Amino acid sequence: MRLAGLAAAALLALLGPAHGQARDTLTVGITQFPATLHPMIDSMAAKTYVLHMARRPLTTYDKDWKLVCLLCVELPTFENGGARRVPLPDGKEGAEVTFRLPADAKWGDGTPVVAKDAILAWEVGKHPRSGVASGEGYRRILKVEARDEKTIVFTNDRVTFSYNDFSQFDLLPDHIERARFEADPETYRRRTAFDTDTTNPALYNGPYRIVAVQPGASIALETNPHWHGAKPHFRRIVVRVVENTAALEANLLSGSIDYVAGELGFTLDQALALEKRQGQRFDFNYVPSLLYEHIDLNQDVPAFKDRRVRQALLHAADREGLVRQLFEGKQPVARAFVNPRDSIFAADTPVYAFDLAKAQALLAEAGYDRVVDGIRQNAAGERLSFEFGTTAGNRIRETVQQVLQSQWRRAGIEVRIRNEPARVYFGETLRQRRFQMAMYAWFSSPESVPRTTLHSESIPTEANGWAGQNQPGIRSAAMDADIDAVERELDPAARKVIWARMQKLYAEEAWVLPLYYRSDPFVVPKWLAGIEPTGHQYYSSLRVEHWRPR
Amino acid sequence: MRLRTLVASAILLPALCAALFAPLLATLVGYDAGAVDLMQRYAPPSLAHPLGTDELGRDVAMRLAFGARVSLTVGIAAALAAASIGTAVGLVSGYAGGRVDAVLMRMTDAVLSLPVLPVLIVLAAVDPAKLGLPDADAAGLWRIVAIVAAFGWPKVARLVRAATLALRARDFVRAAEALGASPARIVLAHILPNCAAPILVATALAVGGTILFESVLSFLGLGIQPPLPSWGNMLTGAQETIWQAPWLALWPGLAILLTVAAINLAADDLQERLDPRR
Amino acid sequence: MIRHAGARALQGLLVLFAASFAIYMLLGLMPGDPIDLMASGNPNITPEDVQRLRELHGLDRPLAARYADWLFALLQGDLGYSRIFSKPILATVGPYLANTAWLMLASFVLALAIGLPLGLLAASRRGGWLDAAINGFAFVSAAVPTFWLGLLLIVLFAVVLGWLPASALPPPGADGFWARAQALILPVATLALVEAGEYARHMRAAASEALAQDWIRTARAKGASPSRVLWGHVLRNALIPVATVAALGFGGLFSGALVTETIFAYPGMGKLIYDAILASDFNLALACLLMAALLVIMANFAADLVYAALDPRIGFSRGGGDEP
Repeated sequence: MRLAGLAAAALLALLGPAHGQARDTLTVGITQFPATLHPMIDSMAAKTYVLHMARRPLTTYDKDWKLVCLLCVELPTFENGGARRVPLPDGKEGAEVTFRLPADAKWGDGTPVVAKDAILAWEVGKHPRSGVASGEGYRRILKVEARDEKTIVFTNDRVTFSYNDFSQFDLLPDHIERARFEADPETYRRRTAFDTDTTNPALYNGPYRIVAVQPGASIALETNPHWHGAKPHFRRIVVRVVENTAALEANLLSGSIDYVAGELGFTLDQALALEKRQGQRFDFNYVPSLLYEHIDLNQDVPAFKDRRVRQALLHAADREGLVRQLFEGKQPVARAFVNPRDSIFAADTPVYAFDLAKAQALLAEAGYDRVVDGIRQNAAGERLSFEFGTTAGNRIRETVQQVLQSQWRRAGIEVRIRNEPARVYFGETLRQRRFQMAMYAWFSSPESVPRTTLHSESIPTEANGWAGQNQPGIRSAAMDADIDAVERELDPAARKVIWARMQKLYAEEAWVLPLYYRSDPFVVPKWLAGIEPTGHQYYSSLRVEHWRPR
Repeated sequence: MRLRTLVASAILLPALCAALFAPLLATLVGYDAGAVDLMQRYAPPSLAHPLGTDELGRDVAMRLAFGARVSLTVGIAAALAAASIGTAVGLVSGYAGGRVDAVLMRMTDAVLSLPVLPVLIVLAAVDPAKLGLPDADAAGLWRIVAIVAAFGWPKVARLVRAATLALRARDFVRAAEALGASPARIVLAHILPNCAAPILVATALAVGGTILFESVLSFLGLGIQPPLPSWGNMLTGAQETIWQAPWLALWPGLAILLTVAAINLAADDLQERLDPRR
Repeated sequence: MIRHAGARALQGLLVLFAASFAIYMLLGLMPGDPIDLMASGNPNITPEDVQRLRELHGLDRPLAARYADWLFALLQGDLGYSRIFSKPILATVGPYLANTAWLMLASFVLALAIGLPLGLLAASRRGGWLDAAINGFAFVSAAVPTFWLGLLLIVLFAVVLGWLPASALPPPGADGFWARAQALILPVATLALVEAGEYARHMRAAASEALAQDWIRTARAKGASPSRVLWGHVLRNALIPVATVAALGFGGLFSGALVTETIFAYPGMGKLIYDAILASDFNLALACLLMAALLVIMANFAADLVYAALDPRIGFSRGGGDEP
């Protein structure tokens, strides 16, 4: 009896924290290792995810996709006087936005977070040779001034509705980084403390700071004693990288990982299968995100110049059935480029229901009225046969592709699958618009203006160095005008009208075949609480201090 | 017949038959191997689908048969290509000797130290239509054949060179030389036939090696592209569902394992039979 | 001996030089340069950004000129910086190299420890059931797809039985020697199982050949015990051909463990090379690939040394390591 009691005690000790005792370490699994940890150089999902735990931008979008204050006292708006219109020297109108930093905000070494830190970030960001990937956001800021230690005044070179969105603006600790930057801006990216002295606490102003990095394998964080916000529960968080998702699942099941990040973890069908077997151990939450999966139709392909052919492709595809069967309905079918969760979503955007007869009729109307060997063709003998590409090795895309292929065949449309490794696909085929049909996804933030994806100026050409993401080659004066207008419209109600017009146009023209919004599967152990999926690029790890055992 | 010969043929013959007759079989059963049926996803083995169905509701048995076609075609075509190049280089290097030999052998060293991955990516970007390959589906297939040929020949070349070196000193070659036979004739008529054994064995081994290599490429997303089934991409596709539908990983895995083992066994067998010393 | 080693070293250097040029050109031929890749994933990058970054990273210059710069810097001992990691090459490669060294050594030793005795045993029991069983193992082990074996081992030992961790590298803070050793068991077993069959087969073939030699028969006739004959004479002679195979196999482990590293989430050289190539990180990819090539060349040379040490009849006159 005593022995049995001992054995039970030993077993409990072994199982340990799983049985309600205080857990103080959390191991999170993700599928990518961040190559650098400097917040501004290069953008990489894994880096963002980890840095969100250790650093805070000025603002962010919350889980309800509303802009909120993060490293500030109050979100500055035109209404509350935090922002105002100012005339610029060149006669145009700019926006002056004033941020007040929290009085007790400190870097991990106890140095207060001050306005100087914002000025340095801006200087690095706009410097042409600092190696920052996207300088546009910084260049749109004309000047940054410190009104006092804790007050930053930004002057934007234009007035747009996102005048107070500083979610991508990362402060840099002036007392650590300025000397390194000024010594030689061109080699700053190699000498920055973020990569040469990663565990320096002075680099982090969030609830956690990075204490150890195992290249390629894991990053360990511990609580930041100088953090000014809510006290986090876990003393230590280890972010482990397992790229192979099957192995990631094994790590979760064997207990070497507690929680797999929804944003950078399992594939959807993997999570769906896991739910059937492990539903009692984990909570499953599928959160539709801003990852918009779609098929671009290259407008230079003669058959795609006819709107009826494009629409027929949509009518001939049973997207609802596909989403239901493959994803158990967890990924909502998309109507246009705006997510239904976004405040600017227009509910009256046209929907293309699965209707084979209608597809056939549209194709016949477009001249493709004879069928030879199961494929429709027109009087000139041009067959409805297209090359359909996506990134090779992405299992879900390949699966969807094969389903669509067999559905379209029923309408007399042949698609030939030709996939390439992501590297070739994004680096050359898509960018240089050498495709006919291309399936891939965009990631955006809430209410993001589709200038680079839908404006005719953003069509990649040899002349502009293949920059821009308007890969289908959409040339629509109406769309261009609305994009320019929506950016300058400050009244939310008036903006919504323009947004609705754009979505309607996009859907009617069917330049792009919308498929669905990808869902992030959050597989959270039953004992863990406080994880709030956002569904956008400001990840749930921005609220890491609220993660705790149940 | 010896046991190992029996074992090897017992595995290889059905695989070859499946590969050869897969389309015929499909017509007989009246089943389209590519037919997608979303209502039948991940069906466990049953009478209608003896090996179950996959993530798109396709019959696994039928796909295995078509996969055999693809995997074996790639394996055999690639091995033959590598063996042809390797044999040519080996013969020239071994018979000519001297500077030619040194240059060719250092070339094989250099090829062995080149990485496969960038070449694969370069090849992935080549448009098959421009090369006059009519079938876009088969582009992945020829890419792998090209890679194995480009990187597999040095092994054969060294074997053939070694055999040629040994043969060059033999009496019958000397005699032919004395009779004034041209180098080309000596190499083709006297040396090549006597190198047949190592070439055959090396080719057989390369077939198995290529099938394994294809599975690795599939794992990296660089192999044969769906919807064309190969054992490698079937196996790769099944790894995520290893819990939900373990049979999906089991059958292609076993197919690769048994076939490659049998090929190597056959090569071993061949070697012993052809070895002149025995 | 020294002259021969010198000639070999010189030839090796030439091969390395040629390989570096070929690799550089290959990397340059790959479609899409790093900036294109960056731009395609980030909608905020403008054409001006693309131009600026390309110039900053020197990508606007001709490939040959960039290669010349690289070579010139290398000759001064400067390997440059990794573009993706923003770190000097050696600092980047260091941890990965150490990881790979452990994995390689352990699996190499284990593969030999399994393969050689099995091969010897099979040869001494030629035709018996043990021979058949060992042969069966050898053929199956050489035919198994690595990632399949790795996943099966993880499923069995990490998930179902829960004896061993599924990842090969314990997290910081829990990475003492024993924890690391324990975590390495599964990947080492995966690599070793795949290699061991190969060694067993070669050992069996070589030992069989040795056993058939006249002087072995003589030793037997003179009354030497069978085990002495086997372990003493046969092993020594059979090791010569096996050494070549082993040396080549060892060299291949350096970059060839990519699949095992991926499955077991182990940051080794295979994975680093793969990532560097995919990201077109010229400096990093070149440095790693040349290390791999150097290792293969040195392994070949080592095989020759083993040859000479084991068989005094073989001198260094054989030349380039091309087994006749």
